Amino acid sequence: MTRKQKRLAIIAGGMSFILAAVLLVMFALSQSVAYFFMPSDLAKTEVSPGTRIRLGGLVAEGSVKRGEGSTVTFSVTDGSETVPVSYTGILPDLFREGQGVVTEGAFDAATRGFVADTVLAKHDENYMPKEVADGLKEKGMWQHGEEAATQ
Amino acid sequence: MFLWIILAILTAAVAAVFLVTLARGSRPAVDDRAGEIAVYRDQLTELERDRGLGLISAQDAEYAKAEIGRRLIAVAGDADKDADCPAPRGGLTATGAVMTALVPAVGLSLYLLLGSPQLPDQPLEARLANPGNNMALLVAKAERHLAENPKDGAGWDLLAPIYFRSMRLADAELAYRNAIRFLGPSPERLSGLGETLVAGTDGIVTEDARLAFEESVRLEPGNPRARFYVALGLEQSGRRDEARAAFEAIAKDSPSDAPWMELVQQHIASTGGTPQATTNAAPGGPTSDDMAAAEDMPEGDRQDMIRGMVESLAARLEGDPNNLEGWLRLVRSYSVLGDKEKAAEALKTGLKTFPAEGDEGRQLIALAREIGIAAEGVTQ
Amino acid sequence: MIIEIGHYTLVLALATSLILSIVPLIGARRNDMAMMALAPVGAIMTFLLVLISFAALTWAYVVSDFSLKNVWENSHSMMPLIYKYSGVWGNHEGSMLLWLLILVFFSALVAVFGRNLPDSLRANVIVVQSWITTAFTLFILLTSNPFARLSPAPAEGQDLNPVLQDLGLAVHPPLLYLGYVGFSVCFSFAVAALIDGRIDAAWARWVRPWTLAAWTFLTAGIAMGSYWAYYELGWGGWWFWDPVENASFMPWLAGTALLHSALVMEKREALKIWTVLLAIMTFSLSLLGTFLVRSGVLTSVHAFATDPTRGIFILVILMLFVGGAFALFAWRAPMLKAGGLFAPISREGALVLNNLILTVATATVLIGTLYPLVLETLTGEKISVGAPFFDMTFGLLMIPLLFAVPFGPMLAWKRGDLLGAMQRLYVAAGLALVAGFGLYYIQNGGPVMAAFGLIIGFWAMFGALADLWHRANFSKLPFNVAWRRLVGLPRSTFGTAFAHFGIGVTVLGVVMVTTFETESVIEMKQGMTAEAGGYSLVFDGMRESIGPNFTEEQGHFTISKGGVAVADTWSSKRIYTARGMPTTEAGIVTFGFSQLYVSLGDPIAGGGMVVRIWWKPFILCIWGGCVIMMIGGFISLSDRRLRVGAPTRKAKPAKAPKLEAAE
Repeated sequence: MTRKQKRLAIIAGGMSFILAAVLLVMFALSQSVAYFFMPSDLAKTEVSPGTRIRLGGLVAEGSVKRGEGSTVTFSVTDGSETVPVSYTGILPDLFREGQGVVTEGAFDAATRGFVADTVLAKHDENYMPKEVADGLKEKGMWQHGEEAATQ
Repeated sequence: MFLWIILAILTAAVAAVFLVTLARGSRPAVDDRAGEIAVYRDQLTELERDRGLGLISAQDAEYAKAEIGRRLIAVAGDADKDADCPAPRGGLTATGAVMTALVPAVGLSLYLLLGSPQLPDQPLEARLANPGNNMALLVAKAERHLAENPKDGAGWDLLAPIYFRSMRLADAELAYRNAIRFLGPSPERLSGLGETLVAGTDGIVTEDARLAFEESVRLEPGNPRARFYVALGLEQSGRRDEARAAFEAIAKDSPSDAPWMELVQQHIASTGGTPQATTNAAPGGPTSDDMAAAEDMPEGDRQDMIRGMVESLAARLEGDPNNLEGWLRLVRSYSVLGDKEKAAEALKTGLKTFPAEGDEGRQLIALAREIGIAAEGVTQ
Repeated sequence: MIIEIGHYTLVLALATSLILSIVPLIGARRNDMAMMALAPVGAIMTFLLVLISFAALTWAYVVSDFSLKNVWENSHSMMPLIYKYSGVWGNHEGSMLLWLLILVFFSALVAVFGRNLPDSLRANVIVVQSWITTAFTLFILLTSNPFARLSPAPAEGQDLNPVLQDLGLAVHPPLLYLGYVGFSVCFSFAVAALIDGRIDAAWARWVRPWTLAAWTFLTAGIAMGSYWAYYELGWGGWWFWDPVENASFMPWLAGTALLHSALVMEKREALKIWTVLLAIMTFSLSLLGTFLVRSGVLTSVHAFATDPTRGIFILVILMLFVGGAFALFAWRAPMLKAGGLFAPISREGALVLNNLILTVATATVLIGTLYPLVLETLTGEKISVGAPFFDMTFGLLMIPLLFAVPFGPMLAWKRGDLLGAMQRLYVAAGLALVAGFGLYYIQNGGPVMAAFGLIIGFWAMFGALADLWHRANFSKLPFNVAWRRLVGLPRSTFGTAFAHFGIGVTVLGVVMVTTFETESVIEMKQGMTAEAGGYSLVFDGMRESIGPNFTEEQGHFTISKGGVAVADTWSSKRIYTARGMPTTEAGIVTFGFSQLYVSLGDPIAGGGMVVRIWWKPFILCIWGGCVIMMIGGFISLSDRRLRVGAPTRKAKPAKAPKLEAAE
């Protein structure tokens, strides 16, 4: 092989590596991206059971019930619609009724209920997850004054 | 003043260091490729050592040596070129002058814009040692004292009504209970505890509260406040006749110009009795009793009653603004009514009489902060 | 008055950095020594000014001066003293001041240790540092001034966020910033060299200690942060692929690549353009991280209270510096002379492969982090890219890299001998296979991928040892001769071996924990027993206790193996009184490299608690490996060669040559 050919081979090798990486990234993105929904979005769009989504909103007052073992059920609401959620595990410290929450999981095919495997509430008690805050602002449930108070 | 002297010294020192450096190092730059040459020389030594250790083959070492050698030659060539160009001088004084001007100009103008030179340091210890009549500080001081001596009943007794007034109800309840525990029950403490509980349940006289008021009445049979709440409790539990009798008894035992008369008469009416005409009591603004009692009136009446009282207080303060207590109460009343704008307005008017720098003004601002209304132009 | 002096010195620091942004630059162009001499003096002075400012803020925290808004918002008079110190940077404003302090600290270090640099290079580096300093001082003063006052002062503060009331806060941010901000020096070196238009092998040698220092601190900072999140959050997780974590991880990946490419440039003067570009990219990623963390454009579990105006300000700084640097790069890079040639199978080739993989890995992390942001801006759709994405892409990319790690140091420069390298490595490969399968069988069960992962981890570890073994030539020479050769090897060789060994240890920990950890959530009543990792835990009951600014409910667990009690632990839930905020304090018991992790959930009706128990086999390897890498970094940093280059014309006897003689 001449020097030029060698060089071309190296460049081709590098390029094909990058190409492989790009394909990998695209494949991974199509596999593991979770869309974010508020309860009223779910009323408009059908989400097929088994599709991973993020569901955000406020924990409805009085909806938290501890059931068998460490399974907890509660409802996530955005003021107009409510979605029942069940979760097995230990809830985060800052999980409270009336507070913002983001859950990740999928709808169960049999019960049509949302089964979450992750529940996020943040360290900071003032915190409202950004998506939830945006969603609530659209619905007028979240005033700017409250937001300013977090500063 | 002392602050300004220090700031001036700092500014001068910074400018001086710049100027001295500028004046001192006035030699032209010399050949600055020496550093690179040193690096390449070192690479050569290292190469020799690697070869000595047998970490690199003799052939590779020769190649590498030639490469480093080429770099050395290239650098040396450059260095000759560089050495030719002389260091131009001049413009130094101009730079110096600009710098001497820039340091204080940027420093002072920005500081005057952002800084608060008039404010002294306020370490908490020093402030606690000399709290003046700043309510919040006094409370903090008392809290610290109680954290260390939790059995000091007198301290709890002192703190309880203050908590209640600033609507820290849970703290107030604890303080009243502790005071009762360590000092024994007294009508004042029991009524206070009862009122705290009532305020905490939106005006409902709960079982706990009723017991406290009854105990208070037992200790001081004439206490109209406790009797009122006992009666209120009866009314709320649906025993209207007993309630009416109790309200009427209070009315009978009270002077006709007592401030609570109007309220008592309303309750007599609402439990089916006939209220007596009362002389209109002097406008004292709604007391916490009134507020709590007003809670269980029909919504419209309640708002009207409180609003009427607040308005009369506002009118009185307009005529006689030199009344700190009045302003504090007015601001709080508006905020309880949910009227933040009016509260802020009242705060502003109050601050005209009691400037923010004074102790009274500070109390106003502390209150405003506590109930969450903004005092524009005051906080920085 | 102390506070106001602190405020004023911060403003003065802006003035000095403004001067340093301009005057030495003119000096370097005019070849005027006096103007260039301002740079080091000014850099040290700016550092002192910011130091005074930082000390004033710290003082205000220690004495609980609530007339400072920042202190009032983030401190409490009853807080333990250590958290009053660390609370200074437990909030946005204070941590920005720490950021700035470390930035000017590095400028001052360049001033002090840069004696071996050409005058114009040193002046220009400090000039670029001063540009960054000016931008961030302005940012602090205008959007997040920690010296804003309150009058009248409140009587009590609002307390520091309880999660931050931990030793982790005292250590993690300073280390992380030393890393993050340390890369600013590499950036400044790159920009300064581009301004000068002179980039050669010596430049790479001069940048190397700064890259190494920043990389070492960033390694420590990330590891510390990960361990902190692990024990403090009570979720048992040690890495969440959260945007904030990624923000610190991307500069680390790019910095690792920079560390390796600078090596090629130093030895062979090849990869010049690439190295300069990497230096710019690494700090750009640090700035991007700062932007992501502070602006709140992404949802994170770790973020500070955020503010859109701050975000825009940092975005402007980011665009200015990144855009400016790339523009300068585009203009100057074509003028650089190409360097030495090399065959694909050579040390250079291996380092290029390393760079290729690390850069692509950085890009995938960047895509995963920013994709939701871009998609939302473009289409309004809200998505999240979760851990599976990163595990899949990043994980797969790391396999060829880790596989190549032991080969790199074995190959000769310019033209390597792969066969020879393989011959030297077959023992390491054999050992890795045996150890990997061995550990796999001991742990029993788990997917086949795990065995492969373990082998890769051991491969990197044994490969590092094999490198040292062959350099000292233990196989041919008698032991004591080889030992002397080993001791006499350059320190950077040991640094490399330690770092590569450490990466293997970390991989081992990661594979072990992800594959073999067990997690159980159970309801436990007093006296009940649970099993995890071959140990039994008995729940002995709850008690209440009161801390300085919190109350807590503690559960006691006795741990036994084979009926013999071996340890006990408290796991608790705390309520911080000032904010009424709950936190979980997990009970963690260490057995060798493994840990039992017990965290409490909610009480259940009829007594007892929900308890979550994890068995985390070999988890300490994850951070232990980072510590080993860090040690490698420090060993390399102490290599005498990094200090070489002091021009002889300086009359003052420099320290470096003396040390050289001693070695």
